[in-house]
Amino acid sequence: MSWLIPLIALIGAIYLLAVIEGWSLGGAFSLARPARAALAMIGQESTKTRKSDALFYQAGPVLLLVAGVLAVAVIPLAPDIILADMATGALFLNAALAYVLVALIMAGWGPNGAYAMIGGWRFLGQFLGYAMLIVMPITAVAMRAESLMTTQIVTSQAGLWNVFYQPLGFVLFMIAAQALIFLPPLDLPVAPGELAGGVEAEYSGPQLLVFRLARFVIILALAGAATTFYFGGWLGPVLPDWVWSGLKTMIIAAAMLSVGRFLPRLREERFLALCWKLGIPLSLINILVVGVLVLVVPV
Amino acid sequence: MSAMFQYLVLFGLTVGTLGFVLCLYGLARSVGHRRAEAAKDVPATSGSLSRDPVWVRYHVRYYGYALLFLAFDMEMAFMYPWAVVYRQEGLTALLDMGVFLAILFLGLLYGWSQGAFRRQR
Repeated sequence: MSWLIPLIALIGAIYLLAVIEGWSLGGAFSLARPARAALAMIGQESTKTRKSDALFYQAGPVLLLVAGVLAVAVIPLAPDIILADMATGALFLNAALAYVLVALIMAGWGPNGAYAMIGGWRFLGQFLGYAMLIVMPITAVAMRAESLMTTQIVTSQAGLWNVFYQPLGFVLFMIAAQALIFLPPLDLPVAPGELAGGVEAEYSGPQLLVFRLARFVIILALAGAATTFYFGGWLGPVLPDWVWSGLKTMIIAAAMLSVGRFLPRLREERFLALCWKLGIPLSLINILVVGVLVLVVPV
Repeated sequence: MSAMFQYLVLFGLTVGTLGFVLCLYGLARSVGHRRAEAAKDVPATSGSLSRDPVWVRYHVRYYGYALLFLAFDMEMAFMYPWAVVYRQEGLTALLDMGVFLAILFLGLLYGWSQGAFRRQR
């Protein structure tokens, strides 16, 4: 029954995230609001646009949810509370999150609506920007841990958390994470107020519920990944280990959800230029610095 | 936990997620039904149908990045195994990958000089 506890923790964490999102967007802290919104979406009529591609339209949100759940599966809450402690955990996380792109393009293409399709193609552009910035910092993390196993990456930080060991990699990873899950200021595929909801525009009812849920699961996966890779996972004094990793994950997720309130949305072309002209050289420098540190200072 | 069992867990998660979504859709269907009304199926374009079909050729103005991305994405496939054995191999690994990344970085600079990193027209 080792899979039951992480599953319950996952459901609880997603609900908490939904509460935090409502708090950061609406300004009101309400424990019942996500439940009410979910019930309302189940009751809502799900409309379908004319001449839509039914397969892509239906598969988009489901694929997004599956990708998120698989990514969460390799994130440890404690040394023994993890769904799948794979030898290739960090790589598997990347592989699972690559399907976010596929799902969004399917969801954009499916409904045969102009805004949705532009949103989907825009996300492809955004992907070209963030893809390298998410894999290169993880490489530097794996270099220090000598393993791709997520639990081993955490134990490698017992001496010093990676956020202090490789701060450059952490910053790049967080920017890429924000772009991956298209939260503001990098919410180009949905862009409310500019694209009328973009990819989300044609979805309603239970399909929209699955889409929103999937987004929360992926936010949780990314915040959990940031905790595991940079904030020493469950490491911490006094409190039990699962409290530490849960607390860190929630704080990072809350920061990801609310940072968009203080920054303007970035144009796709600017974001791409920034990623390739500044981000990739910086992440190569990060790998070099970490490479020298790993050989010289045995921490 | 053996590797085979882990893949079984992941497969179970996938099937479970699909089952959850199907249950949700079933629940939604049992609560209410879809009513056919005129002009309800118009996509969100301010209430009017667009003149041209939507599935047309979309100008991917970022194709310069996309071409360079291919090179970098291939490089990542080599970097993960390299990162795992990095500390064992020591300085040799650093120099090996340093030369490889330097060549790749030159490619990036060349692409930059040829105008790959801008919105194409």
